[in-house]
Amino acid sequence: MRSPQFSSFVILVVLLAVFAVADGNFLSPLNISNMMAFLPELGIIALGMTLLLTAGEFDLSVGAVFALAPVVVMLLAQNAGVDIGVALLVGLLLCIAIGAINGVIVTKIGISSFLVTLSMLLIVRGAALYITQGFPLKSWDQPGFFVTLLAGSVNIGSFRFYTSLWWFIALSLLAVYVLRYAKLGNWISAIGSNRNAAVARGVPADAVKIWLFIATSVLAGLAGMISAFRISAASPVAGTGYELEVIAMVVVGGTALTGGRGTILGTIVGALMLRTIRNGIVLVGVPGLAYNIFVGVIILAMLILHALLQKNAARS
Amino acid sequence: MMQEVLRLQNLQKSFGSVRALKNASLTLSEGEVVALLGDNGAGKSTLIKAISGVFPIDRGDVYVRGEKVSIRSTREAMDLGIETIHQDTSLAPDLSIARNLFLGREPVNLKWLGVFAPLDLAKLRDAASTLLKRVGISKKLDADALVSTLSGGERQSIAISRAMQFAAKVIILDEPTNNLGVEETHGVLRFVKEMREAGHSVLLITHNIHHVFEVADRIVVMRRGEIVAEQTVADTDLLTVESLITGADMSALMKRAQ
Ligand SMILES: Nc1ncnc2c1ncn2[C@@H]1O[C@H](COP(=O)(O)OP(=O)(O)OP(=O)(O)O)[C@@H](O)[C@H]1O
Ligand SMILES: [Mg+2]
Repeated sequence: MRSPQFSSFVILVVLLAVFAVADGNFLSPLNISNMMAFLPELGIIALGMTLLLTAGEFDLSVGAVFALAPVVVMLLAQNAGVDIGVALLVGLLLCIAIGAINGVIVTKIGISSFLVTLSMLLIVRGAALYITQGFPLKSWDQPGFFVTLLAGSVNIGSFRFYTSLWWFIALSLLAVYVLRYAKLGNWISAIGSNRNAAVARGVPADAVKIWLFIATSVLAGLAGMISAFRISAASPVAGTGYELEVIAMVVVGGTALTGGRGTILGTIVGALMLRTIRNGIVLVGVPGLAYNIFVGVIILAMLILHALLQKNAARS
Repeated sequence: MMQEVLRLQNLQKSFGSVRALKNASLTLSEGEVVALLGDNGAGKSTLIKAISGVFPIDRGDVYVRGEKVSIRSTREAMDLGIETIHQDTSLAPDLSIARNLFLGREPVNLKWLGVFAPLDLAKLRDAASTLLKRVGISKKLDADALVSTLSGGERQSIAISRAMQFAAKVIILDEPTNNLGVEETHGVLRFVKEMREAGHSVLLITHNIHHVFEVADRIVVMRRGEIVAEQTVADTDLLTVESLITGADMSALMKRAQ
């Protein structure tokens, strides 16, 4: 078992042990509940990003979509008095449109996804700032079906679990199935591994990529809604920098940035790992402004480890 | 007269100002091996990419078994029974041998799920190992092994066995013996002969004229996007073919030969 997701898993266990020993509160119900509340929000986006990276593309606009979708939904529901269900539907269509535009420009015009989604990041973030005039929206305090569906919670003993965790688990299972067992997964890996070979076998590479861009955007919007409902507020600057954090989760888990090799289990491990690190270093008393140094160092260490393992595997 | 399987009529294709194909015409009959020859950049790959649906042709007609067809995608070419092994790329290195063999034609359960249908992994693996045995690759290859762990020759053999398995009417090989060792090269040539015996037609692109004389029935020579000569192998010799390819002065050569 020298697979990258396995080595990531080992390191995750080590990290958990280190933090548990260093701080007694790390494994407390409250802290675990907190981590499990945050985990799905980035984790859900990471699932889409894994599939996209496996097909050889990535999406830098997810953090901005994370903000824009709830901002639009809340504006419609609060200021325009639109029914929340309808507002959510508009938000969904918006995410689909953003993903479709990304995908069509990347595949049909042939501009790299880095440039296309970087531009989209600016457009979407700019739109969120402009329509809110830069201010967070007033809080949404009307519980209802959709709030329960996306951000409800149950207490089990002294643990508190949000519905978002079930969303994350269900979507993870779906993603594992698609990538490993479905025909589509075979296509996704083949496209990322050798696009021309896939096309020569009749695989509709462009269509698959466009749908993956759409899926990633929709998942980013869903994560944004979950977050906004949980804290009862939508901010135009929410999710800033999430795109890089999500890509970090995915590659730390062992998915190749160059496409062809993707692992959902690895991504789940990666998401847990980054969440653990962010949470753990606070508890062990690392100064706030130094967080990112640690996060960066650990990501780099993980990537070096993966690279070394792969070199080893190639030699044997 | 053998039955005609594929006929190309006045195919034209330009890339910007480069006229890669100018009025190329060609016929291929059942059980016939045709060697397509020509110098680098003559337009051989362009011709076969046009037939296999990699890109659309600008002008010209394609007939399969006498019926006019328009091949707009690789899928359509495959459905017409035209299997191509491309020069530059055929396999996805990060996928297993079995998954590569069935790429684009995966056996699935619950077909109604469309692209979400689960792969029939048992069938995939079984069919793959049967196939690997049939091609007679000397070394035992595991159907689950990643293609990235294979040698160039092994990869070529995999690509060829894939074309075999779908028992296509027309098999197109673009420089299949490139980078191959002696044994693998013989494997490929043997495969070409087997295909002919089984009644398939083969269009073989190669720079190795010795191979041509070993397996081909007919020779078609291209130069700068045009077909400049067609000869049956029995009626020609190595020197003539070489001069046809390079476009050297035939009469001067003839005189020297006499
Ligand atoms: N996609 C493309 N875009 C632009 N020009 C191309 C393209 N493909 C081929 N060409 C040009 O068309 C001409 C014919 O190329 P082609 O690949 O068909 O040659 P070939 O006969 O297969 O040569 P070789 O023996 O080197 O494989 C060349 O001048 C080449 O540069
Ligand atoms: Mg060529």
